[in-house]
Amino acid sequence: MKKIATYATILAMCGGALYSVIAAENVAEQPVQVEATKEPVVCFESRKGASEITQQEIKPGWPNVKCSPTTGAALWYGDPFEGTVPMGKMPLLENIPDGHALVKPRTEKLALMPLCSTACHNGVGPQFTPPTLPKDKRPTPIPTMEAMVPDLKNLQHGRDRIWCMDCHHTTKRNMLVDNFGDPVSFDQPQLLCGKCHGDKLRDWRDGIHGKRIGEFTTGGKKRWFTCTECHNPHNVQDGLRNKGFVQLQPEPPPQLAKGMKDAKHELVHPVPH
Amino acid sequence: MIHSKLSAAVSAKENTSERQLQPVSADPAQAVLKTTRRDFLKTGGMLSLSSLMGTAALMTQSDDAHAAVEWAEHFQKNYRLMTDQEKAESRARLEKRYSSEYGKQVTVDTTDAQPGVLMGYALNIRKCIGCRRCVHACVAENNQSRGTKRAGEKIEWIQVLRMERGKFDAGKMNQGYPEGLGIQVGGNAYTPAGQILEGQYHYNPEKVPEDDANYMPIACMQCEKPPCVKVCPVRTTYREPDGVVVIDYNWCIGCRMCMGACPYWARRLNVTNPVLPKEEMNPVTHYLGNRPRMRGVVEKCHWCLQRSRHGRYPACVEVCPVGARKFGNLLDPESEVSLILARKNVFRLKADLNTFPKFFYFYD
Repeated sequence: MKKIATYATILAMCGGALYSVIAAENVAEQPVQVEATKEPVVCFESRKGASEITQQEIKPGWPNVKCSPTTGAALWYGDPFEGTVPMGKMPLLENIPDGHALVKPRTEKLALMPLCSTACHNGVGPQFTPPTLPKDKRPTPIPTMEAMVPDLKNLQHGRDRIWCMDCHHTTKRNMLVDNFGDPVSFDQPQLLCGKCHGDKLRDWRDGIHGKRIGEFTTGGKKRWFTCTECHNPHNVQDGLRNKGFVQLQPEPPPQLAKGMKDAKHELVHPVPH
Repeated sequence: MIHSKLSAAVSAKENTSERQLQPVSADPAQAVLKTTRRDFLKTGGMLSLSSLMGTAALMTQSDDAHAAVEWAEHFQKNYRLMTDQEKAESRARLEKRYSSEYGKQVTVDTTDAQPGVLMGYALNIRKCIGCRRCVHACVAENNQSRGTKRAGEKIEWIQVLRMERGKFDAGKMNQGYPEGLGIQVGGNAYTPAGQILEGQYHYNPEKVPEDDANYMPIACMQCEKPPCVKVCPVRTTYREPDGVVVIDYNWCIGCRMCMGACPYWARRLNVTNPVLPKEEMNPVTHYLGNRPRMRGVVEKCHWCLQRSRHGRYPACVEVCPVGARKFGNLLDPESEVSLILARKNVFRLKADLNTFPKFFYFYD
């Protein structure tokens, strides 16, 4: 026993000396930083084809967003208010302090938007006088439009009871339309969608439906996600059961437990019957 | 010093006592007692001295921040018993250690529960599409271990359970119990009518949501009467006044009693040394929340205390692409969660266990 104690003392001393040497070596090794020019990472927020966000560092070691390497989806917000503007006046939301309700404008992201209002559907000129405007509300397939917006070929909204002009303004094609025929901005689609989906609009207003990020307290600064950021209005009835969303790729599954080769046990019933 | 005095005092007495030869005994317990009291004390003294010297050698010969604060960390109190000054010291120690370890300025927040706040969570079970974005947002925010080489290195707090959607269709008419009679007799506990599988965690289809599945995310339910708190032998896990069940990682002994007690499979043990790359580490941390953990301690969801104590939504709420996750103050009648409780159909998971979770599932 005495011998063991003596050896232990020597060993501990040696260990201490060795440790200090290793520690010194660690200090000596300086990580070589290689500055590589990287492509900007752009990730989608709620659904593909709607709002996007470009990854950048807003302060050292703090990105504005972290993106999934698997699916390209936004996974984490360093700055939830990036690229937002005040939502503007919304009925029954007047109590929110100024600048505390924010939305991300979609208008500039819509590629066809500048063309819509100027090139064809500007509502003026001889070719756009009433004869070319729709005479009734019966859907008419227009090949040019279908080629530009593929979703239109198979409009999955309203179960064949609605058509383009129920949502889009007749003469101002870069706007949507509300119940009174007045134009509504693409950044405020809730004013249009609430025409039919009033219960959802009410829940959205109260924060029960839809998504808000930022501060959770009542009256806190929040970014509100509008209807079209999560739902594709041309494709809300996708498949048998889709809960109103377009299908997307899931993030990778969890790690298998120790000794487990695959997860096939989940595909059989545990109790034979 | 103490040991040498002790052995000196003993040695005086020692001279008078005779060294006897060991009596041969049939009792094995007595047979092994060959050392005298003096020997025993001497050896014990040497051993403790050597270990002290070894530690001293480790401590003095290295100015590594890691080693220096580990020593102080070992002797700090349970977080609930610390004075404000001790908390501040502990915070400074941790910030120094983490900053040197991860190569960036790390802050360790010690904000207490805010008055008038009782946090609550609601999840729309019909909206969830099973994309697992919440799972990975949680990992990005909360500094979990994310290795892939060994089992247990990858820790995720949220689990998304895929459940087969029960359907009363012609193809499943005979799949009840007893066999052949099928769903007409209503199935049984093993095979509920129209449903075959129990649940999958490792589902990985190309696209979600699938037509024949429902998804149910589960994580810590922040119970009012948490079974994990009842069983903790070192009382390191407890409920905060704002409703969140937290863990003082420094006092966790890794006994896993809480893991066994939790009926929601919410707790995870760091079996291996946590793998947390420097560049992925989130430098904004809370002492009871997402500060980096060590091997052998248990961790779990804490509703992103580092965010929610400052009024911000938890990370999983912010990334849910379908807005199924809702978070708010239960004491505020205008908050999202209060309105959901007032208006929607709400249930709590395993309500029969009387754990009273503050995590509510609801549907439109």
